[in-house]
Amino acid sequence: MMKALCVFACLCLAVVATSKQGFAAGLNAEMTGYVQGLESQAKSQDKGFKAFDAERGKKIFFETHPNAKNGPISCSTCHTPDLKKSGKTLVGKTIDPLAPSANRNRLTNAKETEKWLTRNFKQVYGREGTAKEKGDVLKFIAAQ
Amino acid sequence: MRIATPIALALLVTGLFAALTEAGVTPTTKPGSAGQAAYLKECGACHFAFPSQLLPKRSWDKIMNSLDSHFGDSASLDEATKAEILAYLDKNSAETSSTKASKKLLASIGRNEVPIRITDTNYFKRKHDEVRPDVFKRKSISTAANCVACHPTAASGDFNEHKVRIPKN
Repeated sequence: MMKALCVFACLCLAVVATSKQGFAAGLNAEMTGYVQGLESQAKSQDKGFKAFDAERGKKIFFETHPNAKNGPISCSTCHTPDLKKSGKTLVGKTIDPLAPSANRNRLTNAKETEKWLTRNFKQVYGREGTAKEKGDVLKFIAAQ
Repeated sequence: MRIATPIALALLVTGLFAALTEAGVTPTTKPGSAGQAAYLKECGACHFAFPSQLLPKRSWDKIMNSLDSHFGDSASLDEATKAEILAYLDKNSAETSSTKASKKLLASIGRNEVPIRITDTNYFKRKHDEVRPDVFKRKSISTAANCVACHPTAASGDFNEHKVRIPKN
């Protein structure tokens, strides 16, 4: 019982801590833990790192890169520039909106989030995103 | 006559069954087979989840071991999920299927060939030889890999010719 209470208290603290960092949409405990993990990674990789930044995230989301197969591509190519709208995969399947305000399932599962960030950074940037980049773009998405 | 009727009936039923399988009904694997949910979720997120029985094991191995460049796109998965899906595909590949579609498809692939597209097999080409190339290019179809565009029941493994509806544009 005590252990359960402690865990609960820690989760509450974690949620409070993250909302202070400005993930205004209010991430669940699992995602909060994931974002905190990215944050400590970002700190260890970049001494000057202070906090994740939605403006930097927005730039990452819209930055266009050449792609041998599909031509210039950005995250918004498939997700559309309006994150509240449905997008389309490169082969035409519908993608549900990314914005948590339009799709409450978004940013609720750490494993899914990590999978898509890994896969889609490789798709657009041709490499994995750094912890800082992932946190920035998540902060941008969370605010939509 | 009394004896002939049941025989005729039996023949009719057999004939119907043969006609159905001939028409390309590829029963999907039993719902809930290990790894099937992961396959439908992960692969089906971006494209139609093609019946596993329509490629040999060696093809699935090649596809699943090159997900970082999946037909030029990134489809990376974590190792555990990848292994789960590959095990499902291997266990339900064309070699494991008793359908005519699988057998004919396998027979149409050269021994040293490892096709990574169902549409590259001679079986597929033969089955679609009456469809002009520009039909596949129509906006709502866009590629021959878009099975459901013309086979509305493809998701349940039913490619029956009589259910084909080719969009006009």
